[in-house]
Amino acid sequence: MIEDNGHYFCCNGCQGVFHLLSDEGLDSFYDKTADIKLSPPTEQYEDSSNFNAPAFYDKFVKLNSDGFSEVSLIIEGIHCSACIWLNEKALDKMDGVIEANINFTNNKANIQWVDSVVKLSQIIDMIRAIGYNAYPYDASLQEVHANRERKDYYLRMAVAIFASMNIMWIAVAQYAGFFSGMTQELKTILNIAEGILATPVLFYSGWVFFRGSYYGIKNRVVNMDLLVATGASLTYVYSLYITISQHGEAYFDSVSMIITFVLIGKFLEVISKKNAADTLDIIGKHLPSEVNVVRDEKIVAVKLEDVSIGEIIVVSSGEKILLDGLIIKGDGSFDESSLTGESEPIYKQKGENVISGTISIDADIHFEATRDFEHSTLSNLVSLLESAINKKPKIEQLANKLSEHFSTVILLLSIATFFVWWFWPHSFEESLMVAISVIVIACPCALGLATPVATLVGLNLGAKKGILFKEAAQLETMAKVDVLLVDKTGTLTVGKPEVVRETLHKGFNLKLLYSLVKSSKHPIAKGIFNYISKKEEDISEVVFDEFTQISAKGIVAKYKSQIIIGGNRKLMIENNIECDFVSDETLFYFAIDNELCGVYELSDKLKDGAQELVLNLKKKGIETIMLTGDHDKSAKKIADEVGITNFYSELSPEDKLAFVEDLQKEKRVIVMVGDGINDILALARADIGIVMGSGSDIAVDVSDVVLLNDSLDSLLSAFKISNTTFNLIKQNFAISLVYNAVTIPLAMAGYVIPLIAALSMSFSSLLVVGNSIRIKYKWKRG
Amino acid sequence: MDDWVIVMMLCGSLFLGGIALIGFMWAVKNGQFDDEEKYLNATKFDTVEDLNDAVEKERKKEELRKKIYKPE
Repeated sequence: MIEDNGHYFCCNGCQGVFHLLSDEGLDSFYDKTADIKLSPPTEQYEDSSNFNAPAFYDKFVKLNSDGFSEVSLIIEGIHCSACIWLNEKALDKMDGVIEANINFTNNKANIQWVDSVVKLSQIIDMIRAIGYNAYPYDASLQEVHANRERKDYYLRMAVAIFASMNIMWIAVAQYAGFFSGMTQELKTILNIAEGILATPVLFYSGWVFFRGSYYGIKNRVVNMDLLVATGASLTYVYSLYITISQHGEAYFDSVSMIITFVLIGKFLEVISKKNAADTLDIIGKHLPSEVNVVRDEKIVAVKLEDVSIGEIIVVSSGEKILLDGLIIKGDGSFDESSLTGESEPIYKQKGENVISGTISIDADIHFEATRDFEHSTLSNLVSLLESAINKKPKIEQLANKLSEHFSTVILLLSIATFFVWWFWPHSFEESLMVAISVIVIACPCALGLATPVATLVGLNLGAKKGILFKEAAQLETMAKVDVLLVDKTGTLTVGKPEVVRETLHKGFNLKLLYSLVKSSKHPIAKGIFNYISKKEEDISEVVFDEFTQISAKGIVAKYKSQIIIGGNRKLMIENNIECDFVSDETLFYFAIDNELCGVYELSDKLKDGAQELVLNLKKKGIETIMLTGDHDKSAKKIADEVGITNFYSELSPEDKLAFVEDLQKEKRVIVMVGDGINDILALARADIGIVMGSGSDIAVDVSDVVLLNDSLDSLLSAFKISNTTFNLIKQNFAISLVYNAVTIPLAMAGYVIPLIAALSMSFSSLLVVGNSIRIKYKWKRG
Repeated sequence: MDDWVIVMMLCGSLFLGGIALIGFMWAVKNGQFDDEEKYLNATKFDTVEDLNDAVEKERKKEELRKKIYKPE
């Protein structure tokens, strides 16, 4: 704790932010946060001057009609409304900033400023100074389109709901009059009022159905839109005729009710659709714009695409590495977390490779490009991901299959009814009325609501258990799954190795080992650190004279005259240290002055519920296959423990992707569960990608389902919820079909009076909604 | 009750309801409901200070607009 004038801070970062806010007069922020616990500001490695590069401006900054510059940013680190307030106020107070508008729901910001007064990098610096981070995205893509569609639906629904509510109270008067009698004049007045209200519903709100049926006919498919559109417009025309001719019953209420109910169902589908645009934006975050290249002994900024192999690129601390290459001058630490998920900085020196997409923390280096941008790791990853997302198979939903047949049957029945009545013989007018009543009573409302309402209940159940389904349709897809692919480390196992055995030799020094592993964040070092801390409670630490971490190998340190080495077999062999220890477990060797003095065997523990998961899925007829990048021995050990007979080891991310594709060729429906960068390609391509909440950012973005509490129990719950939802959908369809089976013959026989038509419409919809809510309560009790 | 009473009542109520609907649609089109969370939170931060800030912001915008405006 740091004390400062009666205020207490957990770290310097928080203290710095506090002083900055006080100076700006924004300290009322702390009153607004109320009980919310703030997390300390994160350290930023990337240099903000990148944002001033012309190439960056070309791509992301637009000039608006007023002549102001405008950029769309995603703000990281926002957790409450006070954060929004703070960011907006801090930016508004900056000289030259016209407007900062941040959307709380998706943390996206739109900022307008005068470029001659303030630069974008200063704006970004301000956001970082108050403890947040920002990166740009191209708003002109799909997002704008998605928002426009949503707004469009809002407007259409507003009109439909307003008109339907008003029509219903007018209809009540009409039903009352139907039984107690009313004059034809009054009836006509009510009909005209209803007609006026129903007109915008049919032509404005119902426009989506006309559009849908047009595309349906074009593709030679009879869809639900066609049924809704023909039903509603025929009823409308007929009711107009009744109103003008002043005899019979008008059905304007049916027109607006059909459109409103089905439109609500459609809207529920639109809002629960995953926004693919969001995913690609976050991947785009890793795509920078230009690099500094040495040409004719001068350093020039060159567009990424124009750098050729063999050119020398200069990178200073805080910059992003944009191309793959070989370091020829300089050394320092790199942050590779965006690619590998490993949060620990990695030290690199002359002769080692740098990977595109990583950030130099303190390294000033020259490196030779070994690949051009098109073939770089970063660009490969992004294009593989994009294609995996686009190629994701779409399993046809029950609703689409069913509505096609349903619509065709109803339309045919209606036409048949008309001809039968006409030839019976009845008047043309009467035959038409009966035929229309068949379409009206075969109310597609319940059918249209069956899936959206059920999936909404499913999404809700999942959210309460910490399972986030990003798209409603995935619930149904997941219920049809027959293969589960799981990653090993971090998914089936805890991902935190623990020491199971230690073998000590002469010269072992616990203090040195303790200090060595304490300084590293690697899971193996952490495991040994925990083991020693538990064994020896009051152990002191030494300060090393030199300390170097070697990526994927271990740690080398110097203390007084001693050289201390800790790491894997590779590191020992490099230093000519003899080690011929054999074990199934992961090994950590410890040597002082090139003499091996300790070997630790570590093993990763299985997560709770792993065996139950495999057993339960087997009962359901779902095959479980384990895919891992680990070596065969440790894969077999875990597979045996869990009870998985089918496993594949030593797989690269591309191998995993190929595995998924091969299974999909056999028409199998696949769930992939993983947590790390090495799974993202497979996660994106699988029918359903499930990621642990603690997984890397990109993995969370490309997946379809997120398990927030990382447990395998919630994975099993996700399967259960999807099965329940799918059953619910089937039940809802059954309800509406049974209802139609009863009412359609009545309509064909000509027994339908307006009251029955209206009641049947509301009643079948209520049954469907009621049935869905019933499941919700059943789960709550269970 | 004469029919014209019904006609009048229907016209009156539909007219008033229509105005409310148009008002709502204008607000949706204007982007006032784009961010449902912020819209609800706005009441919490609606103080005199915030109103002053809003006026100040308008003034600043106008000033900067003049500053970058260059007559042809």
